[in-house]
Amino acid sequence: MDAVRELLGWLWIVPGATFCVIGGIGLLRFPEFYSRMHAAGVTDTLGAALVLIGLMFQSPDWTVAVKLALILFFLYVTSPTAAHALIHAAHTTGHEPLLADDPAPAHEGDIP
Amino acid sequence: MSGEQLIDIVLLTLLASTAIAIARLRNLLATAMLTGIFSLLGACWMLFLDAPDVAFTEAAVGAGMSTILILATLCVVNAEEKPSRESPIALVAVLLTGGVLVYGTLDMPSYGDPDAPATTSPITRIYLDSANAPSEQEEGHAAGSNPGDGFVVGIPNTVTTVLASFRGYDTMGETAVIFTAGLGVLMVLAGARHRRPDPSMEIEPEPVDEGPGK
Amino acid sequence: MKNHVILRFVTKLLIPHILLYAFYVQWHGDFGPGGGFQAGVIFAAAIVLYGLIFGLQAAERAIRPGLVQSGVALGLLLYIGVGIASMLLGGEFLDYDALGHDGQHHGILLVETGVFITVASVMITVFYSFAELIRRQ
Repeated sequence: MDAVRELLGWLWIVPGATFCVIGGIGLLRFPEFYSRMHAAGVTDTLGAALVLIGLMFQSPDWTVAVKLALILFFLYVTSPTAAHALIHAAHTTGHEPLLADDPAPAHEGDIP
Repeated sequence: MSGEQLIDIVLLTLLASTAIAIARLRNLLATAMLTGIFSLLGACWMLFLDAPDVAFTEAAVGAGMSTILILATLCVVNAEEKPSRESPIALVAVLLTGGVLVYGTLDMPSYGDPDAPATTSPITRIYLDSANAPSEQEEGHAAGSNPGDGFVVGIPNTVTTVLASFRGYDTMGETAVIFTAGLGVLMVLAGARHRRPDPSMEIEPEPVDEGPGK
Repeated sequence: MKNHVILRFVTKLLIPHILLYAFYVQWHGDFGPGGGFQAGVIFAAAIVLYGLIFGLQAAERAIRPGLVQSGVALGLLLYIGVGIASMLLGGEFLDYDALGHDGQHHGILLVETGVFITVASVMITVFYSFAELIRRQ
């Protein structure tokens, strides 16, 4: 029974970790700010959620599972809000998105 | 290489690279964010070393309050660091100090060493025995007897016991340091207190996330 | 922040939970990781969040600057007061056993409360000072 629970847990954790890696690659490779925020949002919400659900399966005690569920709830509320706050701030200060018919820029936003 | 060693190496490498990035960047907004990331990585590392209380405090203070205060300072000053002249004397001083520190750490016992002073000293045994919950120990003497005589504090968290009871004097000193820091900030930014905020002004401060990154 | 509907809504949803968590960490420091320092910083973080989203004046109406400035000293006073109380009751300075039956437990609770008050007040005071500085610019 314990082995089944552990396997079920790994079944959720590994895709979650994969989504985090994909999000990280996207964060580095996308050409402009708004697409990179999209990638970061994937990492935060989807990757972390899958990992937490997997950990809930593997938890030794129901109290630990409840605490993980609470963490999942707060993460679901705060991380999209943080992404929204960042994008809203960029938009109101005049940062324009790169549209399909714009000429491709050099890799934007390199730190000096 | 075991999984734990791998996590250890990865965390320390991330810490070192974040520190180097903080030192080399000139854009202060990015540096402020990296400082928050450094504190978060430090908290992860402390958790990895089995110290949840310290990790908790580091995450709350470093990744939370400290980032906000650095951003608030950035609202008042320039967002770009002025280029500084490179000085060979500074390099020699830093290398010397760093070298002496590393030489000092060569003498320290390894993590979990059974011969380390922290493990073999009798004080450790006295602290751990005295901190146990009463159900794990037979009833000892009442108040006032010497520690190690069956004196029991009786709360499950040993860290809080050591912090607040066995080393209560040190914690009083820490609280006094925090008090003095608050006092210092109040004295330096004293002008803010002399003017009563005008209730007819509905001005709200610029949100700090839209700060100097224009 | 008038047009930041999402931020205002989410903040209104979260601040009570953050405050509750601060008190949980404070009183649960006996049983798990926690204690006065962590709880004070989390409490201050909730107030700072309120000040960032709803404006400095709303935050100063909720937690008055004079109150937190006295709080800075009151926490330390509570800590030292516990020590002096143990001296007056016959023991040494900060000897919790002199506080009576179950003195260790009560002493630790009072002392951690003092730390909580000082740390929270100092963090909120520093934030208020910086924010007033920015507003006066």
